[in-house]
Amino acid sequence: MMQTLLEPKMLMTIFLMGTIVYITYLTKRSATASDYFVGGRSFGWFTNGSAIGGDYLSAATFLGIAGLTFQLGYDGAYYAFCFSIGLTLLAIFVAGPLRRFGAFTVADFLAYRFHSKRARIVAVIVVLAISGFYAAPQLLGAAQILSMFFGTSYEFGIIFTCTVMIFYVGIGGMKGTTINQALELWIRLGAFILMVVAAVYGGLHYHKILAAINEFSGTIANTAQFAPDGKDVPFDGNSWTGTGNYFPSFWQTISMTIGLSLGTIGLPHILLRFYTNPSAKAARKSALMAIAIASVFFLFAVYLGAVGRSIFLAGSADPQVVKDLVAGGNNMVVPSTAQALGGEWLLGLVIAGAFAAIFSNLSGLFIASSGALAHDLYASFFKKNITQKQRVIAGKISILILGILYGVLGLMVKEASIGHLVALAFTVAASTFTPIFILGIWWRGMTEKGAIAGLVLGLLASMYMIFLPTTLPEFLQFRVPGLITVPIGFLSVYIVSKLDRKVPADVNEFMKRVHSKESEVA
Amino acid sequence: MAGEYSDYEYVEAGKIDVKDLPPLDSETEKIMKGEFSTGFKLSILYYLFIFTIPVLNWFAPEFMFSSMFGGMTYAWFLTGIVAMAIAFIIAYIHTNRYEKRLAKYETGHTIKPDGSVDGRSAG
Repeated sequence: MMQTLLEPKMLMTIFLMGTIVYITYLTKRSATASDYFVGGRSFGWFTNGSAIGGDYLSAATFLGIAGLTFQLGYDGAYYAFCFSIGLTLLAIFVAGPLRRFGAFTVADFLAYRFHSKRARIVAVIVVLAISGFYAAPQLLGAAQILSMFFGTSYEFGIIFTCTVMIFYVGIGGMKGTTINQALELWIRLGAFILMVVAAVYGGLHYHKILAAINEFSGTIANTAQFAPDGKDVPFDGNSWTGTGNYFPSFWQTISMTIGLSLGTIGLPHILLRFYTNPSAKAARKSALMAIAIASVFFLFAVYLGAVGRSIFLAGSADPQVVKDLVAGGNNMVVPSTAQALGGEWLLGLVIAGAFAAIFSNLSGLFIASSGALAHDLYASFFKKNITQKQRVIAGKISILILGILYGVLGLMVKEASIGHLVALAFTVAASTFTPIFILGIWWRGMTEKGAIAGLVLGLLASMYMIFLPTTLPEFLQFRVPGLITVPIGFLSVYIVSKLDRKVPADVNEFMKRVHSKESEVA
Repeated sequence: MAGEYSDYEYVEAGKIDVKDLPPLDSETEKIMKGEFSTGFKLSILYYLFIFTIPVLNWFAPEFMFSSMFGGMTYAWFLTGIVAMAIAFIIAYIHTNRYEKRLAKYETGHTIKPDGSVDGRSAG
């Protein structure tokens, strides 16, 4: 028992959990709804930039990108490229105006812009859909790590992670969540930096490993004993370093580029982060810092995916590592590579980093969705004269409901790829909220009916193309259907608004508010 | 604005036909145009770079997947390394320009290339 507790992976995980409990305890007093939902709008650009990075760089980045690169080669690296675009567009078009608008939730934006309860309800549904899509793969990552490295069942992993999240977000609110997210980001970044240093120190230089992988053709030694068919795993390096493995056509690649690059602008948990800055200037600086952090992360993730592949091909890795890489699927490439590069201590740090990634991202999703339930639904429709205290309690109860809901979703995606599931969440966001925020902030002619049409048609189109692709003609069967669904979202808003023509009478006041000078906002 | 939040009441603001909408005040319009113009130009530049990669990958694969140094191909270099730097550079240029415009709006004066404010100080 004592020996198990002293294992590096156990020590690091206990340390992370202890830190979360301590920070949550210190920040547990949320006197007002502003404290609970937007952290009192008190976080500077460094803390908030780190927290945005923590929110954005989920298990999909920490585990998924390296895993996809390991599995798909160049096409996997292309995922990272697409994920890296969105924060920059968000910083350019949305970050500053959104902070100047300054409310609690994403749905508030529509309610204010159009004086519309209907728009608020539709926005709540879309927030819950996107958050569910995003939360399921995070839980999958947590359960797989627990299963692989601590021997627990998949179901236990899901329940354990949901329980931790209910405690963490329910008690800490946005204040605790932001500080935890910022800290967790640096744990992950530290783990990645150590892995990169260990790989370079071990002679695994980028151009050399890519050359070795490219030249490999045949079967991988020492893999037969772990393969389901009992044969050594075959591999073609030339195909891995080229394109067309996963995206079979040019248009498939373009479709993913559009879906992922525009998805970030519509992610509720990222948008919400810009409400927590004290000013629009700080919001832009936060975004800039998050972009710097994300760029480094994506760069490292792709490199580590290639490092994992080269270690695997060499056939000289520890049998446990080879077993994890064969049997663990592409989601477990980062921990397995860490073990091969730095032994148990680096593995321990990476496991703590992976949990940090998952907790960080899940907490953002919990906060965004609890705002949708407690603030947008309960406080806006069912209990009009709600006090600040009751609003906080409603937020905490909604965290409990979400914990159960996300847990069920997590149980349904056991066999999925984390990176790809998150890519689909990005597509839904790009087809729904992205048109609403870009056009809502920059175009006075957008109407309530246009906004609702954009949200409904964007959501339906993306859901249909994701879940029922085989009912469509072959040329419309996209792995990531952004090429079709994003234009549907934008065009629905534009065409219906043009036909409707009835804009809110105070739209000029709204534009003045979101585009005003800093001194007028303060 | 910072800090507290007051609930939004569903006050009926009414709707008007978009053709009857009065023009924006000149200051807000100027700020919006300046912001959008900079953002739009940078986005066009950024997307030119972004779409160049898949276009070249599919229509000039011999070049893109040829060796640049060691096993590093042009495609891998642009996608896995350069793109990450470009994402930051575009955002940095935008934030930098925004801060210069901000100082200009707030003071009514321009910022010189060396960073000093032409006329009275921002403070």
